[in-house]
Amino acid sequence: MTTETREPPAPLDSGFRRNDDASARIGDASARNDDMSGGDDGVSARNDVASGGNGDSPVAGDAILSVRGLETQFFTDEGIVRAVDGVDFDVLPGTTMGIVGESGCGKSITAKSILQIVEAPGRIINGEISYNPRPETNSSTDLLSFDANSNEMRAIRGGEISMIFQEPMTSFSGLHTFGNQIDETLRLHTNLTKQERFDLGVDWLARVGIPNPTQRMHEYPFRFSGGQLQRAMIAMAMCTNPRVLIADEPTTALDVTTQAQILDLLQRMQEENDMAILFITHDLGVISEIADEVTVMYLGKVVETGPVFSFFDEPKHPYSKALLTSIPSMFTSSRERLPSISGSIPHPQNRPMGCAFHPRCQSFMEGTCDVREPELASVNEAQEVSCFLYEE
Amino acid sequence: MAVETSENGNGSASLLDVRGLVKYFPIKRGFLRRTVGTVKAVDDISFDIREGETLSLVGESGCGKSTTARSIIRAYEPTAGEIIFKTEDGDSIDLAQLSLVEMRPFRRQMQMIFQDPFSSLNPRMNIYEIISEPLLVHGIGSSSEREDRVAELLRVVRLRPEYMRRYPHAFSGGQRQRIGIARALAVNPRLILADEPVSGLDVSVQAQVINLMMDLQDELGLTYLFVSHDLSVVKQISNRVVVMYVGRIAEIGTPEELFDSPKHPYTAALMSSVPKPHPSQRTKRYVLEGEVANPANPPTGCYFHPRCPFATDQCKVEVPPLVKSKDGRYVSCHRADEIELTVN
Repeated sequence: MTTETREPPAPLDSGFRRNDDASARIGDASARNDDMSGGDDGVSARNDVASGGNGDSPVAGDAILSVRGLETQFFTDEGIVRAVDGVDFDVLPGTTMGIVGESGCGKSITAKSILQIVEAPGRIINGEISYNPRPETNSSTDLLSFDANSNEMRAIRGGEISMIFQEPMTSFSGLHTFGNQIDETLRLHTNLTKQERFDLGVDWLARVGIPNPTQRMHEYPFRFSGGQLQRAMIAMAMCTNPRVLIADEPTTALDVTTQAQILDLLQRMQEENDMAILFITHDLGVISEIADEVTVMYLGKVVETGPVFSFFDEPKHPYSKALLTSIPSMFTSSRERLPSISGSIPHPQNRPMGCAFHPRCQSFMEGTCDVREPELASVNEAQEVSCFLYEE
Repeated sequence: MAVETSENGNGSASLLDVRGLVKYFPIKRGFLRRTVGTVKAVDDISFDIREGETLSLVGESGCGKSTTARSIIRAYEPTAGEIIFKTEDGDSIDLAQLSLVEMRPFRRQMQMIFQDPFSSLNPRMNIYEIISEPLLVHGIGSSSEREDRVAELLRVVRLRPEYMRRYPHAFSGGQRQRIGIARALAVNPRLILADEPVSGLDVSVQAQVINLMMDLQDELGLTYLFVSHDLSVVKQISNRVVVMYVGRIAEIGTPEELFDSPKHPYTAALMSSVPKPHPSQRTKRYVLEGEVANPANPPTGCYFHPRCPFATDQCKVEVPPLVKSKDGRYVSCHRADEIELTVN
């Protein structure tokens, strides 16, 4: 599926099922997959994929995107920065995987590595990224086996796997109208005629809630507000009906009211199109709103991964626990001191020995944490943690 | 629209009383830079800051919260209004009437902390020069006294005095923000205007800076005007909160009042948009439709009426005044006493 020319998308109102029940999405991906089955020819391959879930709890083999041992390094004049240092996680079809971490933890570089758009001097050194759009046939391909500029990768990038970015203002060309920019995407990924592409663009602008879509197609990005630009970017990412959407801090630059609108829109798009989302953020509030699974990263490594409820109810890694208690939220009462994490994130070139978090860790064990590096291992059915506290 | 603010319930006196503050920016076009319109960034607002409290200004981008803070310190010239500051001798002085030279001694009592800890410290000055600059400007102390003062200030913000000769690049974001706080504290101000002081910091470092600011307030008896768009941080640090919308005040209240029982529909929408801290609280969001009004061409009547689910014909015509409601809260909504609002 990844190598052949893709079918043009079906007329937009035919292949999609609306699912207004927002609660159905939480923790129950299979239920949602079932009502996505059926549809007409243009999207039937999609729906076959979607109905592949058999009601069992999802296991790694069902993952649409499976990252294993990913290492991306930056070869700077000052030395090698191990930005992503052996990252593993799975994204299940139709669900949202949230990647949480602070600046420099490698979450954005992980996302860029998946699409092979890491800028020089960064290079992907090692790892496997299995993309498996049809879990039942187990026809997975390793995206890293394709060259970054190969036709296969170009078909996937923006077609099968789309990405939206933090800064909507800098993600569009200021020299082209929005219509021109969405047209380029559709020209690359579909065989539609010019008029069809225009109509599809108008349709997507309307779907993401931009008023006067026909007129807006002829306007330049500076005419759009921040929230509208983020919507337009979502429209552009969604117009090729991607199987996976990578959202890199899509709401960080926005006000809370606009953020709520965008999160709502992403969830609606996910439900209508049965798409997996890889959602990257530093904001635990956003994670609690949108994620089904959570992966926490610290200095290029995964420290904890598991379902969103387990993460909020029983965080395992000391860093996860500290993050959850130190961030002001609507739970904390006002004028109360917060427990804070001491110290600051080390510079990636001064990576501490052993566990990278040990200088800031409350549960630091001398002779262990500062000597050996912990491995990510299961602590129960759902959660995996990399910490010596849970070592047998 | 002067509100009775100097007499407040809990007995503590106002340090600063802002009455009818207006700040318009001209829009200039063309070769002759003719003024073709005005942006009503701050449009007739009144509130007071009490001695020793933290008052926060919240709202979406462009609502005028930063402009308000900058107008108070006269970084912007207010278009109209009074900014009444209570001096240490108990006199009240209208800062808006002072010339810039007359303003200088009052600037010493009001200092600012900025959002971006990277661009607000001069990379060519070392930490000693940065923190002692306000002392130099105000002609305080000899060179050795200034050095002692800088060492003391570094200790106050929990940094090591030995770092005094280092340059900003050697410090992390959280440490730089502490340096910015030390610089603000150098001249013993009474009021600190903090414009998004933790927004540029990593989440694990935010708590350190918030705790430091709260500790310093207790130790030094500081008063804060805190500007932020992050409502969780605002709830954490504030005694009272002013909610602004397109240059006007929607509501004033304690964080608990605003978060638990908002009176203005905009406050309710804002609070409902804040992500819930636990996935079990995921509910249907009350998503505010439409866009923030344009302050260069605001709607008639209540600026919020095009987005307000409770708007009536009166709201389209009449500007609602900020009035004290029955339970002593300030709300500017025609229907504040009729409608029932909940934050889900």
